[in-house]
Amino acid sequence: MDGFDMIDSGTDGPSVTIRKAEASHADFVLSNVDLAFANSIRRIILAEVPTLAIDLVEVIGNTSVLPDELLAHRLGLIPLDSTNIDDKLLYTRDCDCDGYCERCSVVLTLVAKCTGDQNVTVYARDLAVTAGAQLGNPVITDEGQKGSIICKLRKGQELNIKCIAKKGIAKEHAKWQPCAAVSFEYDPWNKLKHVDYWYETDAKAEWPKSANAGWEEPPQENEPFDYDAAPTKFYMDVETVGSLPPDEILRQGVKYLQEKLANVIAGVQKTAGANGVSAAAGDVSGMDDGYGGARSPDMGDANGYGRNFNDGYVTPYGGAGGVGGAQTPFGGYGGGGYSNGW
Amino acid sequence: MPPTSKSVVSRSSAGKAVFDTLNREKRFRNPPADKSAFPALQDAIRPHVDSWNAVFREGGCLHQAIHDIGEKTVFDRLDGNAETGYGNKLTVKIANYYLGKSMLSSRDKTAMKREIYPAECRERHTSYRGQLQLELHYKVNNGEWQKEYRDCGLLPLMVMGNRCHLEGMSPRDLVDHKEESEELGGYFIASGNEKLIRMLIVNRRNYATAVVRSSYAKRGPSYTNMGVQIRCVRPDQSSMTNVIHYLNDGNITFRFSWRKREYLVPAMMILKALVDTNDREIFEGIVGLEQREDTFLTDRVELLLRTYKTYGLYSRHETLAYLGDKFRIVMQVSPDVSDVEVGKLFLKKIVLVYLQDDGDKFRQLLFMIKKLYALVAGTCAADNVDAAQHQEILLGGFLYAQILKEKIEEYLFSIRSQVRSELMGGARPEFNNPQYMRKMLGKVNERIGESLHYFLSTGNLSSPSGLDLQQTTGFTVVAEKLNFYRYISHFRMVHRGSFFAQLKTTTVRKLLPESWGFLCPVHTPDGSPCGLLNHLAHKCQVATTSSDCTRIGPLVLTLGVHSAKVLPVPADAILSVQLDGKILGWCSPRDARRVAESLRFYKVEGTHDVPKDLEIGYVPVSNAGQYPGVYLFSQEARMMRPVKYIPLDKEDIVGAFEQPFLNVAVTEPEIKSGDSHVEFDPTNILSIVANMTPFSDFNQSPRNMYQCQMGKQTMGTPGTAIQHRTDNKMYRLQTGQSPIVRAPLYNTYGLDNFPNGMNAVVAVIAYTGYDMDDAMIINKSAHERGFGYGTVYKTEKYDLAEKSKSKVPQLAFGYGWAPIGADQQTLAKFKAMRDKYSGTIDDVDGLPLVGQKVVEGDPVAVYHNMGTGETFFFKYKSSEDAYIEEVRVLGNDVGDTICQAISVKFRITRSPVIGDKFSSRHGQKGVCSQKWPAVDMPFSESGMQPDVIINPHAFPSRMTIGMFVESMAGKAGALHGFAQDCTPFKFNETHTAVDYFGHQLREAGYNYYGNEPMYSGITGQEFHADIYLGVVYYQRLRHMVNDKYQVRSTGPVDSRTRQPVKGRKRMGGLRIGEMERDSLLAHGTAFLVQDRLLNCSDYHQTWVCRGCGSFLATTPTVTSADRRAAEVRCRRCAVRATEFDVGKRGYWEDGLGGRFLGGEDTTIVVIPYVLKYLDVELLAMGIQMKYDVSP
Repeated sequence: MDGFDMIDSGTDGPSVTIRKAEASHADFVLSNVDLAFANSIRRIILAEVPTLAIDLVEVIGNTSVLPDELLAHRLGLIPLDSTNIDDKLLYTRDCDCDGYCERCSVVLTLVAKCTGDQNVTVYARDLAVTAGAQLGNPVITDEGQKGSIICKLRKGQELNIKCIAKKGIAKEHAKWQPCAAVSFEYDPWNKLKHVDYWYETDAKAEWPKSANAGWEEPPQENEPFDYDAAPTKFYMDVETVGSLPPDEILRQGVKYLQEKLANVIAGVQKTAGANGVSAAAGDVSGMDDGYGGARSPDMGDANGYGRNFNDGYVTPYGGAGGVGGAQTPFGGYGGGGYSNGW
Repeated sequence: MPPTSKSVVSRSSAGKAVFDTLNREKRFRNPPADKSAFPALQDAIRPHVDSWNAVFREGGCLHQAIHDIGEKTVFDRLDGNAETGYGNKLTVKIANYYLGKSMLSSRDKTAMKREIYPAECRERHTSYRGQLQLELHYKVNNGEWQKEYRDCGLLPLMVMGNRCHLEGMSPRDLVDHKEESEELGGYFIASGNEKLIRMLIVNRRNYATAVVRSSYAKRGPSYTNMGVQIRCVRPDQSSMTNVIHYLNDGNITFRFSWRKREYLVPAMMILKALVDTNDREIFEGIVGLEQREDTFLTDRVELLLRTYKTYGLYSRHETLAYLGDKFRIVMQVSPDVSDVEVGKLFLKKIVLVYLQDDGDKFRQLLFMIKKLYALVAGTCAADNVDAAQHQEILLGGFLYAQILKEKIEEYLFSIRSQVRSELMGGARPEFNNPQYMRKMLGKVNERIGESLHYFLSTGNLSSPSGLDLQQTTGFTVVAEKLNFYRYISHFRMVHRGSFFAQLKTTTVRKLLPESWGFLCPVHTPDGSPCGLLNHLAHKCQVATTSSDCTRIGPLVLTLGVHSAKVLPVPADAILSVQLDGKILGWCSPRDARRVAESLRFYKVEGTHDVPKDLEIGYVPVSNAGQYPGVYLFSQEARMMRPVKYIPLDKEDIVGAFEQPFLNVAVTEPEIKSGDSHVEFDPTNILSIVANMTPFSDFNQSPRNMYQCQMGKQTMGTPGTAIQHRTDNKMYRLQTGQSPIVRAPLYNTYGLDNFPNGMNAVVAVIAYTGYDMDDAMIINKSAHERGFGYGTVYKTEKYDLAEKSKSKVPQLAFGYGWAPIGADQQTLAKFKAMRDKYSGTIDDVDGLPLVGQKVVEGDPVAVYHNMGTGETFFFKYKSSEDAYIEEVRVLGNDVGDTICQAISVKFRITRSPVIGDKFSSRHGQKGVCSQKWPAVDMPFSESGMQPDVIINPHAFPSRMTIGMFVESMAGKAGALHGFAQDCTPFKFNETHTAVDYFGHQLREAGYNYYGNEPMYSGITGQEFHADIYLGVVYYQRLRHMVNDKYQVRSTGPVDSRTRQPVKGRKRMGGLRIGEMERDSLLAHGTAFLVQDRLLNCSDYHQTWVCRGCGSFLATTPTVTSADRRAAEVRCRRCAVRATEFDVGKRGYWEDGLGGRFLGGEDTTIVVIPYVLKYLDVELLAMGIQMKYDVSP
C-alpha cells in the first residue's frame, strides 16, 4: 500500500492526481470515479469542447498549385488560439448577425506572393488576425516560429485569402478537435480480467508491462477473483493540438458534461412538468433545441453533401418530413464548412 | 511509449528499403541535368523505343523494306517503240525515304520556333507527326533513272524515338518542355490520346516447329494433322509462314499464303526448284547414314520421290518455269519477265524468305522434312507453340514498319493502276514527259501517313496480305494515365493475340514452366483475358537488334562440327547446328553438347566474338522428346533475361528457347551439382507491379493476382505534369503518401514520384456491424483530415467548326457574345443573361473563368453566329458539380484564323463517400460503409484510434497473411521511423517475418505479435479480446458510387414496349431479371412482383372484348347528337348495320362512318403493354390471340 491509495480511497468523491503537466499535454490519474464517468470525460474533451477553427474561406486570388478546396481544407486544420473562447465568442447560430460578425467569428487574412526566383513557403504564421481580436492567433510551437506549412509558391504565384474562423466542436469536424489524442487506461494488471490476453507461447514474454503498472499493486499469487470489482482508477493523458491548454480542455469538458446532464435533467423535468409537477424547465439551460448541449455552426445546414447522403431519403410516400429520415444516433454527419463538404 | 533504445532493432535486412525523402525532394526541385535517376524505368519501355529506332535508323528495317519491295513496272501498250510487244515500260521504285521531326507546316509564315513538341499535341488534341517523304525513282524502258520526291503525308512519330525532339533530353530539359521528369516515351500521340502498339506473342522466327493440329487435316483429302511450321522473318521484320504437311500416303506438300489466300505446292517441287539436284541427294539429305535400315523413313522418302515423277519435271530450270507459269498471275509479275525468273521470284518472296542462299533454303527444307517424318514416326514430340520457348514478341516498332512497308508497296501498285486506268480511259500516257508524270503521280493516293494514323487511332489493320498475323483489330491501346502502375504496365503488356481469346480451349491460357522469368506468373487479369494478356517479368528484355554473328559459323566448325556444304555427312553427325535457321553443319550428340557449352563459356567470357545475347539452345537427344540439335539465335524480338553463370560467376543473358535445357538454381544455397546458372534474385520472375505487392510470398496466390489488378485501378498520382495534360478523364489522389512498407524496387522504379495510397492505422475487429461482408469503416475524423481525398479531372473540347453545317470549312461562329449592332431585341434578350453569367463567363471573350464552379446546365462558353448575330451556349452536361480548372484556346495548325475551339478542364472533387471502394495491397478490397465518429471508434491505451476498421472474417478464407505481416511491419516502421523491406522470399522457416517484426514491436514497447488491448469508444470498457492493430497501406480504387449510383421512380420509357429504358446515362431502370423474379416469388412477395413487373414498368389499361377475346378489334364509337358519350365496342362481334337497323338500340358508328350493331360486351383490363405489342406482331404473322376474360 502506498500513500496515494490511502489518500484517494474512501468516499471523498472523485480525485485527480496530476503526474505530469506540460503546455501540450497533461498526464493524470483519475480515481474514485466509475468507468462511465471517466469515459464521458474522454468523449467530451475529444468531441465537444469548442474551439476556434477556420470555417469559411473566401478565395480572392489563388494561383498556387493547390486547388481552392484543398487550400481551404489545409487552412481549416490549422489550430488557432482558442483560450476562454466561451467568454469571447458566440456560435454563429446564436448570433444576431447575418453570416458572421466580430462577436461570432475571427477574420484572418493571408496574403502572400512569390516574386523572387526562390520558392516561397507560406506558413501558418503568415495568417494575420484582424486587429483587436481577442483570440485566433495560429498556434505556433516549433522552434523556428513558423507554424505549419500551408502552401508553397513559385515565382509569380500568389494567395489572397480571407478566412473566417468560427467556434465549433469536433463532433462536427475534426478541425475543432482540441486534443490530438487522449490516452486512457485502467486496471494495468488486468485484475478485473476484462481482457483475455492472447498469447502464442508465453503471455509474460509477449505482452509488455504497462507503464501504469507501477501505480497499482501487482496481483498476488492465488488472489481470489473479485466478481464485483469495478475499475475506479483511470490513467489518462490529454495531448492537445495547441488551441487550448490541457487544463482548460478538462475544465471545459467538465463544464459541458454538467451542461449535458443538466439538459437531460431538464428534459426529464419538462416531460414531468407537463403534468404540473415542475415548471421552468427551459430555464435550466436556456436552450430548447431538444438535444441540447454543444452544437456547431452549420449543423444540419444543407450545404454539405453530408446532409444529402445521411439525412435519409425522400420516398414518394412522404417520409421526408418529421424526423428527417434515417438519422443516426450520432447527431447526423455534419457537412463541413467548405462547400465541397469535407 | 517511444522506444528507449533502438540498438536491438536490427535493420540489416531492412537496410535497402529507405524513404529517401530528401533526395526525392531535391530531385523534384532540381531535375537532373544529365540523365534520369531511374534507368530501370527507361529499361522497362525499351522494347518499344528501341524497336522504333531499329526501324528508322540509317540502314534500319525500313531501308531494308524499301529495298525488298523492289521495282514495279507498267506498260503503256503503245505500239511503235516496243521491244517486248507491250509498249513503253515504266519502272518505278522507292530509292529512299525521309522522315522529319514534328515541325510546323510551311504554310505558317510567321512562327520563329517551328518545332512541335509532344506536350503541344496532347494539349491541342492533335497528333504528333512528322513529314514523310519518299524518293521515287522511275525510268522509261532502259533509260536513266529519274528522281521525284513525293510528300506522303504526316507520319505519326513515337515519342522519345529517334524522330522525337525529346530524344536524349535530360530530366531538366524534359520538364522545360512540359513533360514528366521521367518521361519514357514509347507511345504515339493520335488526336491527343497516347496510343501504344501493344506487344504480341508470335511464333519463334526461323525455327521449324513440329505441329499437330486438327485443322491441318482439313486442308484436303488425305491430309493428316501433322506438319512442320516455320515462321520466316526477313531482315525488315516482315514475315512469311511456311508449313509442310504430311499426307496419309507419306507425301509432303508445302503450304503458304499469299495475299490472304492459301496455296499448296508439292514439297519436292520446291526442293527441285531451289537447286540443281538429283533424287539421290534428296534421299541422302533426308535419310541419314544411320537410318538406312529404317524402312518407315525410306519407304516414305521413296514414295515422295516416286510420286513427284508424275509432274515430269526433271531439271531445276523446268521446275522453275513450271512454278513461274503457275504463279505469274498470283504474284502480279510484269508480263515481260520469263517464267524462270518468276519461279526465282517465287522462291525469293515465298520460300524460307529469311535465307538468301538457295542452298541454305534447300538444306533447311530437307531438315524440315526430316523433322516431319520424325514426328510422324513418333521419334520426336510435337513442339508446344503455346510455350514461351517457341515464341517471340512482335514489337510495336516492327509492326509499324511492316504496315509502312506494305503501304509503300501499295503506293507503287497504285501508280501502276493509275496508269492502267488512264489507258482504259483512252488517254495516251507520256512517260517521258515530266509534266505528265507529275500530274499522274498527283492523282495517286499518297497519304501514307494518314493510313498509319488510322491504324494507331483505331487499332485496325487494313492490309491486303494480313501481315502473317491472326488478327486484324486490337493492335493499339490507349496508354491510360490512371496511375503510374497502370501506365507502366501498358508498356510491359504482352498479348497472345485476340484470335486466341475466342478459342474455347484453355490450353493457350495455361501458365507453363517455360515462361519462368520471362512472363510474370502473377500479373494477368482474371476473367476473359486471363492468361492471354501477360506482363513481362521486370528483368525480361526483348532484343531489338540482331547481333553480329559472322564469326560463329567458322567458330563452330573448329569445335568439331561437320560443315553442311560438305557431303557426305559422317554417320554419327546426326544433330544439326543452326544459326537463326541456317544450317551451319552437323555433329554427333557428344560434340553438340561440347559445342553448346563452349559457346556459352565464350559468350559469358566475352571472347571469340560470341555476342553476349546469343541464344544457345542445345536440345539433347532424348526418347521422343523435342527434336534434338543445337539452335543458335541472335536476332530481334527474343525474350531474354539476366541470370548468373556459375562457372564464371558472371551475368549470362538467357533466352526463352535455351532456358528449358539449362539448370537454373533459384537461390545460391539451392545450387546443386550440374546447375549452370543461378537467379540473381528470385523476384526477377515477377513483373513491376507484382513486385510491389508486399510480402506476396505470404499470400494465397490469387490474391496477388487481384492486387495486380487493383493496383492498376487505384486512384493514384497519374503524373507530375498534370497541368500540361488534357486526358479525357484523370484521377488524382490529393493526399497520397509514401508507403512505410515497400520493396527496394519501389525506389528503383521511382514510384515515390507517383504515390498510390495512404498509410492507414487498421484495426481488425468486428465492431459495429457495418463492417460485414467486406465493408470497411473509416474514421470520420481521419476522413475530415483528408484520408483518401481525391479529384477527378475531365477535359472537354468545344469546337465551333463542328457547329457549322457546311462541309466547307468556313468561319460561321465565333466565341463571345454577339457583338453590339445585332438587332436590338436579341441584345435585350441577352442583356439579362449576360449579367447573370458574368460570374462564370468572361464578358469579353465568352470563355469560362478559371476557378469558377459549374453545375449541370450552366453555360461553359458563349458563342455566336457571326452572320445572324445569334448567341448560343455550350452547357455543362454532367450532373456532378465541377470547377473550371484550365481553359485552353486552340488555334488551327497554321494559326491564321480566329479561335474556333477551346478545351476546358474541369475539376470534380471526390471526397470519399459511403460506397467508395478501397483496398489494401493484398487483394482485400472493400466498400466504405460508414464514416464512424472518432469518439465512438475503439481506441488503444495510448489513445490511438484506427483510421480503418475491417472485419476479421476477411482473412480465414482468403489467407492473405501478407496483409498481417504488412500490418506488423508498418506498425514497427512507423514506431521506429524507418521504411520496411517487404520483398518476397526474404524470410524463411528459421528466420521468420513474425519474429523479425515482433522483435521490433517489442522494442517499441508493444505486444510481440502486434495485438493491443483496446477499449470501446462508446462505453470505455476494455474489450474482452485484444485487437490486431497495425499500419497498412491503403489504396483508393477508382470505382466510386458517384459514377455508379442509379435511381429512378418514373422516367423515360422505350417507345415500342413502354417499359423503362436501361442505362444509367439515360435515367433508366434496373432490370428485375428472371432470377430476381424467381427470388421474389420464392419469398412469396406477390405484391412486390406485381409492383416491379407491372405497375412500375409497362402498366397499361386497355379495352378487350369479352365475347371474342380480342384487344385489337375494340374501337371507340363516335359521339353523335342522338347518342350517349363515346364508348368502346368490339368491331369483330358487331355486324354492319343496314338502313333498317339505324335507330335501333345498340346501333353505333365508328370513326370512318361505318355503322354497326352489337359488340357491346367490352371491358377494361390491365395488362403489360408489351402484351399488346406481341398481339400486333403475331397479327402481322396471321396469328390471332384470344383472351379469356370471363370473370
